[in-house]
Amino acid sequence: MMPGTSMKSDTNIKLPLAFILYALIALVAAQIILFVNNDLLAAGNFRIPDIWMGAHFLLLGYAVMIAMGAMYQLVPVAFLTPIWNQTFGFIQFLVTAIGITVFALLLGLKPDQAIYGGIMAIIGIIMFVIQMAKTILRQQKRNSMTLFVLGAITCFFLTIVAGFLLAWNFAFGGVGNHNTILHTHIVLGVAGWFTLLIFGFSYKLVPMFSLSHGYSMKWAKTAFFTYIAGLLGLIGSFWTGSALLSGIGWILLLAGFSFFFFDIREILAKRIKKKLDRPFSFSLLAIHIGLGVHIIAVGLYLFQVSNQLIWSWLIFLYVMGWIIFSILGYLYKIVPFLWWTYKYSERIGKEKVPTLKDMVNEKVAVILLVLFIISVAGLMLSGLLQLSIFLLIFQALLALTSLLYTISIIRVLLV
Amino acid sequence: MSLLTEVRASLFEVIDPELGVNIMDLGLIYAIELDDNDNVKITMTLTTPGCPMHDSIANGVKYRVGQIEGVAEIDVNLVWEPAWSPDKMSDRAKEMLGFA
Repeated sequence: MMPGTSMKSDTNIKLPLAFILYALIALVAAQIILFVNNDLLAAGNFRIPDIWMGAHFLLLGYAVMIAMGAMYQLVPVAFLTPIWNQTFGFIQFLVTAIGITVFALLLGLKPDQAIYGGIMAIIGIIMFVIQMAKTILRQQKRNSMTLFVLGAITCFFLTIVAGFLLAWNFAFGGVGNHNTILHTHIVLGVAGWFTLLIFGFSYKLVPMFSLSHGYSMKWAKTAFFTYIAGLLGLIGSFWTGSALLSGIGWILLLAGFSFFFFDIREILAKRIKKKLDRPFSFSLLAIHIGLGVHIIAVGLYLFQVSNQLIWSWLIFLYVMGWIIFSILGYLYKIVPFLWWTYKYSERIGKEKVPTLKDMVNEKVAVILLVLFIISVAGLMLSGLLQLSIFLLIFQALLALTSLLYTISIIRVLLV
Repeated sequence: MSLLTEVRASLFEVIDPELGVNIMDLGLIYAIELDDNDNVKITMTLTTPGCPMHDSIANGVKYRVGQIEGVAEIDVNLVWEPAWSPDKMSDRAKEMLGFA
């Protein structure tokens, strides 16, 4: 028998938890800001300072901070290598949290001064990139997941470079191609960073949570390179104005996502745990939504639909239905695990301890996740049909659901 | 009851917190050895390498076996070869996971 590899995952729980708690507050703040500005959403006005503020609280404050917290917890166990420097991690948390808060607030209140918050957020993000690069590059045996996570981190770095140029333009002007940089920023951030990261961790988490064995992951590398090629094609089309390149980009992105989907389908087909936990099923639903968004995008391209309203709401569905839903589902697994490790790992074998499932009220979780689906679907429809009153109702529902979801996650910490 | 039987029985009380099934029925225990000085060596695996519960489950085994009177030193040897597979599970575990 081969002796076990040492892989002690002794990340201080306070580090990932700090990120996650900040993120939950940001989620509620974002939904309240978007609720207050629902009239702008109804008119399809997404490029307004108040909406930027809400969007950045959602994407930077919530999604990025959750991703960072989750990575501090998952990278050591998935890559079998400890975090490079945990003290550096706590400093990075403070710098990033303050930077993102100031940046998002200034984007809404004084966009011309957002650069100052932006610089601090960027420093925090660069610290994170250094931390993760130092950690992952120490991994002894690289695998497909390494590829996805390094790809995601690279896209993240390029996203903030593009974001910095945009903030610079608001403050001082002088950088040309503002719209092109904006589109590059969105694609790199939303599709590059988040999607590649979720792909990478799904290859680890889906088999783990479904207890799957004997699967191949044969499409993983193809999915990665095809998706990267799609990103390059799409971004290239922004800079060259080539419609053909744009079409190739969308088709490659769909192909890349499909390859990932094939692998996930195989993993689930070979699972041992037949009855999956509901929140985890919600993350799996997000994969279907992500695939659907890619199919719709190719369809819109083929039918030459250039309506800004439709594309804006499609991006909204991509962000909420794919990225945010994935995270919402996985968080019901990650937070109980963190808390269980902190509170019960020393008691296992000594006394009866709860299972991870006991720590989540699954009935409440299901209700909340269904409410998320209803509010996002309702928002999409009322946005596309420009029904202001329904937009107001569904945004209120989304804000309320986000608040209740946050409370339900915090309740895990009281078990 | 012999010490070895006691150790074996105690491991039925160590539950995988993610799956809610004990580690014996899951087939995670490959060998339990007892030497002349009552030192116990347990060779075990986990359902997947990189399982976040790695430390907790291995420590749980140590704590639980440590509670048995007469046991001297406990050595938990975590191995990845041979890899765990579903056929190592008992029928009861398969049933609990809806696999049977």
